[in-house]
Amino acid sequence: MKNQFPRSSRREEAQINCRLPTTGCRFGFEPRCLGCYGILLLLALICAGNLFAADANADFSAANELYAKGKFTDAATAYEKILQTGGQSPSLLFNYGNAEFKAGKLGEAIAAYRQAELLAPRDAELRANLGFVRNQVQGATLRESRWQDWIGSLTLNEGALLTAGFFWMTFALLAARQVRPALAPKLRGATRLAVALTICSGAVLALQAANHFNSSVAVVTGSEATARSGPFDDAQTAFTARDGAELKVLDRHDDWVQVADAAGKIGWLSRKQVEVLPGA
Amino acid sequence: MLDRFCRIVILGFAACLIITSGRAASFTASLDRDTVTLGEQATLSLKFEGVQPQDAPALPTVAGLRVQYVGPSSSFSFINGQTSSSITYNYLVAPQRDGEFVIPAMRVDVNGQQFSSSPLKLTASKVNAPSSAAVNSGGEVAFLKFVFPKNKIYIGEPVVGRLELYLRDDVQNFGNFQLTGAPTDGLSAGKIAELQNQRRRVLVGNRTYTVIPLAVPLTSVKAGPLTLGPFTASAVVVLPSQNDGGDSIIRQFFNQGEQKQVALATDPVSVESLPLPEQNKPANFTGAVGNFTMTATAGPTNVTVGDPITVHVQISGRGAFDALTLPAQDAWRDFKTYPPTTKLEPGDPFGFQGAKTFEQIISPQNSDVHELPALTFSFFNPDDGKYHTITQAAMPLVVRSAGSTTLPVIAANKNAAPENQTPQDILPIKENMGTLAQAGVPLIARPAFLALQGVPVLAFLAALVWRKRTDSLANNPRLRRQRAVAALIASGMDDLMKYAAENKPDEFFATLFRLLQEQLGERLDCPASAITENVIDEHPILSRAPTTTLDALREQFQLCNQARYAPVRGSGELNSVAAQFEKLIGQLREVKA
Repeated sequence: MKNQFPRSSRREEAQINCRLPTTGCRFGFEPRCLGCYGILLLLALICAGNLFAADANADFSAANELYAKGKFTDAATAYEKILQTGGQSPSLLFNYGNAEFKAGKLGEAIAAYRQAELLAPRDAELRANLGFVRNQVQGATLRESRWQDWIGSLTLNEGALLTAGFFWMTFALLAARQVRPALAPKLRGATRLAVALTICSGAVLALQAANHFNSSVAVVTGSEATARSGPFDDAQTAFTARDGAELKVLDRHDDWVQVADAAGKIGWLSRKQVEVLPGA
Repeated sequence: MLDRFCRIVILGFAACLIITSGRAASFTASLDRDTVTLGEQATLSLKFEGVQPQDAPALPTVAGLRVQYVGPSSSFSFINGQTSSSITYNYLVAPQRDGEFVIPAMRVDVNGQQFSSSPLKLTASKVNAPSSAAVNSGGEVAFLKFVFPKNKIYIGEPVVGRLELYLRDDVQNFGNFQLTGAPTDGLSAGKIAELQNQRRRVLVGNRTYTVIPLAVPLTSVKAGPLTLGPFTASAVVVLPSQNDGGDSIIRQFFNQGEQKQVALATDPVSVESLPLPEQNKPANFTGAVGNFTMTATAGPTNVTVGDPITVHVQISGRGAFDALTLPAQDAWRDFKTYPPTTKLEPGDPFGFQGAKTFEQIISPQNSDVHELPALTFSFFNPDDGKYHTITQAAMPLVVRSAGSTTLPVIAANKNAAPENQTPQDILPIKENMGTLAQAGVPLIARPAFLALQGVPVLAFLAALVWRKRTDSLANNPRLRRQRAVAALIASGMDDLMKYAAENKPDEFFATLFRLLQEQLGERLDCPASAITENVIDEHPILSRAPTTTLDALREQFQLCNQARYAPVRGSGELNSVAAQFEKLIGQLREVKA
């Protein structure tokens, strides 16, 4: 579909898709019919969604063109503008990260890649770029442990859906054994397997959730950030972190976050100096 | 190890003998011959009688002489009660040039005694190739020939000369062949090696010779007249023993032969080395001399600006591959180029034939590039004395701007491990944005999602309850009958109301009687057909029922009986009876069975 229409006609395409059925309505459109109003509302929502998507796609293409011309800062701004609408996708964040990296902002790039990784943790290109940019970071930086890397290969939602699937399957099998007792012997193995899978996936989900909600990471986005011994500007300097350094978030206080670097040094950073991200 | 042990034993034994001997100590130095030809070796012996030095004496250095220590030997004699012993240290002496050499007198200190030897003279003469007459007469046991296929060569042209060793038919064996001189001034010589499977036998004069050919790879490096040789060599040949005693047949089979060292030399060969012509020399000529062909491939051909393209260029044919280089391609100005890697697949032992592959990484610098420009390679062919230029046609390329995202397939070296290569830059951006999703709370933190997980639990609990009730019913026939009768009564009531409305007393009372039987049968746990009015007074269960219930029951039975004889009733009366019956059923259900 995308190859059949030039870019300039995408908005028109979306509008064509939004035309309401005026004849031959299978529901026999009548003004007083609640069902018909519901359908109208649904179609309106779909149309709005398509229009929004068409706009975003056009903006995305424009940002890509800026990137291709070497205007990386402008491209990063254009990508960020799309992100500010509230929508996000792995590709959008990936390109945003690329543009920020090319613009010389390692921290912004790493933050973008990490956010993209939350949506698409198995994207090889994303991991390659994240690894590449991390290698450019000077000084100590936090690296995910092996188990974090392992459980991070699934998104939290994927883990939740997987666990829910096994959970539903387990109780469906248990219910089937009650409804059809004759099938109980045949379903015994499958039931045990489902229970085991539920327990395992549940354990992984618990780890994922703990990591996601309790292991936040702060990425330094300035050229250099000075961590202080307390959450106020006049506090003594604890250590300095370079652009792109990833730090473990220990605590938060107003506009300050307490962080620890890879060497274990602890200090407070202003929120303006870092971007705080959830764990993988 | 064994050799060392034997040496220690011999020296120890010799030392004991020398100590016990009564003769005066002496030291002498001698050569086994005083004249040798170049390539031959003489043996120098340092003999100690009646004395044992600690170690082999060090010889003075003589320019032009190469000396190699061989080892000691000892002797012992016992004559007329007089013992004598000696130890001799042996050295091989090989002149490196012709002329006269003097080994100066040597002074040796043994156990505080000073010994000295006389100077020794050794004359080394040049080896000359045997004359044709001598060769044809069959008098030469072995001789050497050098054959060079050309008398004119170009600088850089590789040529393989042949050094042929001729061994007469009576040579039983030969060994220790050593080239002692291989003057190839103005030519670069490669490793000399025997040409395998090319030994042959030829008739020279009236004798048969075995020819052992050796290849001498040569490349001219200097223009002008050049002289190859004379090549000189030495070898040890084994000839039949001259001892004519004994039986001839036994001699033929058991003759161990006599070793003879021979010095060999070739005639010098003159060659004219020509410089490469300046006329018509291509601009990109880099010195390749030979006869070559070229093939080139490049991939991938659909790339983004800055992506690597691997160009494989293979040059094959005959020539000096060591010096072969890929010329700089001026037409690649729109590409960033990296130093090529090379791989040589030799087609012969000398590296004068085969194929050389160049692998070069280039990357287009802008999207205006539409082709890989034609690749050119120039060489000088000495066979026709002309320069040739091979051109590989331009290869079309599709180069997208950096905004395009299709990831190119990098045609890497097969031996390389891509995963181990350090990336030089980030991967390009993606063209498709994909589906935009609103960032939100994870599923696991949404109450609706968590509440939804209660559905399978509830379903299971429902199934469990249903199962329990089903099991309970299956194991309780009275309960099952109670439920069946209740259902029958419920449907029977509808029938009664219908019959009452239609004023059908016969059907009404027949149904009423049947329902009474069913309900009482269920309560009294006996077949319904066995129920009559008499059970009211006779059955013990009913005796515990309230009197009003029993009276109502009797009345219902009597009404049923009366209806058989006085069937005329009105709808109103029938409805009244039905109401009484419904009330009675309720009372009967209260009776404990």
